Amino acid sequence: MRSDLALGALLLALAILAPALVNSYQLSVLLQVLMMIALAQSWNLISGMTGYVSFGHAVFFGVGAYTGALLLLAGVPWWAATAAAALLATALALPVGLLTLRLRGPYFAIALLGLNEVGRMTATLWVGLTQGGDGIALTPALLPPLRTSYYALLGLAALATLGVGAVLGSRFGLELRAIREDEGAAEMVGVNTTRDKILAFVASACLPGAAGALYAFYASYIDPMSVFLPALNIQMVVMVLLGGRGTLWGPVLGATLLMGIRELTWAQFPALHLALLGVLMILVVLFLPDGVVSLRRKRPRPAGRVSEECRERGGAEP
Amino acid sequence: MNRIFLRILLAGLIAAGALLAATTAAAADIQVGASVALSGKYSRTGQEQLNGYALWVDEVNARHGLLGRPVRLVHYDDESKPDTGAKLYEKLITNDQVDLLLGPYSSGVALAASTTAERHSFPMVAPGAASSDIWERGYKNVFGLYTPAEVYMDPILELAKAKGLSRVALIYADTAFPRSVAKGVKDKVAALGMSLVFEEDYGKASTDFAAMIVKLKARAPQVLIGGSYLPDSTAFVRQAKEYRLNPEIMAFAVGPGLPDFGTNLGADAEGVMGNTQWEPTLKLPGAREFATRYAQRFGHAPGYHAAGGYGAGQVLEAAVIKAGSLDKDALRQALAGLDITTIFGRYRVDATGLQVGKPGYAIQWIGGERHIVLPEENASHALVYPFRPWQDR
Amino acid sequence: MDLLQPGVLFQLAVGGLLAGALYALLACGLNLVFGVMRVINLAHAELMMIGAFIAWLAWRYAGLHPLLALPLAMLLLYGLGLVLQRLLIERIVEREELTSLLVTYGLSIILVNLGLLVFSADFRAVPTLQGAFYLEGLDLVISKPRAVAGAVSVVLTLAVYAFLRYSRTGKAIRGVSEHPEVAMICGIDVARIRGITFGLAAAMAGAAGVMLSTIYSFSPDTGADFILKCFAVMIIGGMGNFLGALLGGLLLGLAEALVGGVLSTQWAEAVAYLLLVLIVRPTGLLGQADAL
Repeated sequence: MRSDLALGALLLALAILAPALVNSYQLSVLLQVLMMIALAQSWNLISGMTGYVSFGHAVFFGVGAYTGALLLLAGVPWWAATAAAALLATALALPVGLLTLRLRGPYFAIALLGLNEVGRMTATLWVGLTQGGDGIALTPALLPPLRTSYYALLGLAALATLGVGAVLGSRFGLELRAIREDEGAAEMVGVNTTRDKILAFVASACLPGAAGALYAFYASYIDPMSVFLPALNIQMVVMVLLGGRGTLWGPVLGATLLMGIRELTWAQFPALHLALLGVLMILVVLFLPDGVVSLRRKRPRPAGRVSEECRERGGAEP
Repeated sequence: MNRIFLRILLAGLIAAGALLAATTAAAADIQVGASVALSGKYSRTGQEQLNGYALWVDEVNARHGLLGRPVRLVHYDDESKPDTGAKLYEKLITNDQVDLLLGPYSSGVALAASTTAERHSFPMVAPGAASSDIWERGYKNVFGLYTPAEVYMDPILELAKAKGLSRVALIYADTAFPRSVAKGVKDKVAALGMSLVFEEDYGKASTDFAAMIVKLKARAPQVLIGGSYLPDSTAFVRQAKEYRLNPEIMAFAVGPGLPDFGTNLGADAEGVMGNTQWEPTLKLPGAREFATRYAQRFGHAPGYHAAGGYGAGQVLEAAVIKAGSLDKDALRQALAGLDITTIFGRYRVDATGLQVGKPGYAIQWIGGERHIVLPEENASHALVYPFRPWQDR
Repeated sequence: MDLLQPGVLFQLAVGGLLAGALYALLACGLNLVFGVMRVINLAHAELMMIGAFIAWLAWRYAGLHPLLALPLAMLLLYGLGLVLQRLLIERIVEREELTSLLVTYGLSIILVNLGLLVFSADFRAVPTLQGAFYLEGLDLVISKPRAVAGAVSVVLTLAVYAFLRYSRTGKAIRGVSEHPEVAMICGIDVARIRGITFGLAAAMAGAAGVMLSTIYSFSPDTGADFILKCFAVMIIGGMGNFLGALLGGLLLGLAEALVGGVLSTQWAEAVAYLLLVLIVRPTGLLGQADAL
């Protein structure tokens, strides 16, 4: 715990100093890393911890981006627009969660995927509100400067990580992980699984909403395809799986690694970059299901896991 | 714990290393940056535009460069996606630190990219963009080359009126440029007292028009106008043939202006009208020579997208010479006040950067070839009217 | 609205049913794999696109007519299906359903982007079956490529159904899907059956792809639209229910055409997504299947 705090403080210090050390393109890359960390931790909260894998979390990002952009155009200051975006995404998550969290794993994943598409189609078809396929180009005069966006996203990433840390150490976190291990058993023991799942889901929508708005302010242009981005869904999944789901630092590591790969390849080889992600995803799921962080961990596993392990490995304890 | 800390630091260093991996060009070169669609829906036209840029760069260098320095083209592929384009221009400006900017292809991508340019107060010469929206935002750094989209179909509508037609059907893709074409059509139809009997938009990636054509037939339009690009206009004509949609005049934006239209559709392209910003037959200084050199280098005749790319280079060159330097403010002023004629046509912009000096032309596919038919003084062939019904071909 | 004349609606309905037949062919394959292995193959639409590109390559470089390319594509995809099953799917069959989603998701990304690398995002088509049938009496126009695609799809789907119903291997497949442990006890080589099933589904997807290449312009990422349509079909028809998927496909095609006619093409594209909302009732309209 103490060492986690120390690590966190160090990274935070580095991040705060960064704008003075790098050029504006590099700063924008770091900004995107921070955004990815915030997104990864959000996804971690619902999918990493409860096991309800969402394949469409980008929908909250998209909703946040449009909300933020439209409010900014209406004259609302950027920070208020961001807060409103987070609020709207959270408000959306409530009915969605109530409807979909009743479904078993794969159905939940697909439902969210479909929701992302519905979001994209809504943005495309509701031309009066969103300007449809044209997208929204934000006048530079209204936008916060790059550094401000950077610090805002730093705050978001820090908040997300702190939030996950708090949850991991709490009874709530324990209940979430119990849901992942065996929901039926958890219920029998008295865990209010419905309430817990919904809480985690709603919490996991809040930050992508804010991140979406901040992204819109940074990019100055959004359209349905770029914010209800299927690739973002993939990236959220890969980052957390790669780093280690249900852990504190896993998503951070995953986000950093992913952005590193991306920077090396996306401009020159956009298709290659995504193909690599796909390969990575398969490899991680097949061979490293607990992520890179788990390479370190050699602690004895909690009893609940053994049965699943035995089924997978035919009984041998590694 | 130390291990994890070290590992994260390592990962951070990897990312930092990636950041610092910036390409450095020789200081003597002038770098011209552009992001043009080389894949996706606009790939064909984007490639043409890039070819125009490349040809211009080569010829400038053959003429001892700009301000005595060699010119180098730095380019990326925005995959026909506006947000990718915006990010690539950000990269060109802040990471690659180019000296000059040439615009992307398509109004949609230009809308996004121009915001990036404006944010950095970096003037950009933008061929490949015709939607007036781009210039209605009060930006100071975008300078257009194309005749605006809103007037694209005016000559064709005037022709229809002269022939006594009144029922107009309008279809368009839901992105910036086709919308602008559509807006212009609606305004003109109203101004000419004709009636709009059908209007529908379709998704950018749509190529299935069956349901739409069935509805169109029920409305019996005499004039069909499509705000489109190449893949959709090609698909539509094919399907119009299947379902035997026979208006008196059929016209599309962009698609028919390209040689591919004729190649892909063969005899089915006969009689389809469209518009063009430029044709090699126009009497413009250096146009014929440009067409010859382009054909020699790239193996096919240039369309107006290629000519626009080349013309943009010429405009940029003239502005640099006029400003006498690469200073952004001086360039901006030069571009705002320039009045020259390139191989592409006249360049003169209004206070917002919108092109006002250059006219547009209507073309038609006749006998397997593309001809200018309107205005008549520029025509290379007489207009063929009406559109021959599919069942009579 | 004058557009709601019976003639127009009939025309739209016919076109919609033909498109729906294609969806049915695709969705039945996906459904089959799910029924037998409880694996949701998110890369199914990419297998279809491989079929489309095979048809295009065959036409472009060998001048082969799509109907001749059809058996070739089906064979190649059957083989690919076997390989994928052995390499990837077999490893994850016993694990939670989510794992299969993740792995096949990764596979679909790899396939799409390999396709983009090799073929670029340009649109292609195989414009061979051109023209239409004109039924003057009914005032009906049926586009030739759609008619052929629809007919081939229906024939293939019914052929597979017959295979599952009456042949020995087909019965084994159904056995494994209903009671895998019992099937094993009866001496059925479950792994082999799974391989055959996956190969068969891949072949069906490939056939759908060949037919698709004659109707629509396509690029490597065209698959993304179709996978969601498949889910919508599976949900309408009930997960694991073969005949349900067939009917569901036809229904979806019909719905899309009518919505496209009455509203606009954009809304038609949204129909599948909206139907996905029905996912909250995964037993679908026709009920959960033990009936393959």
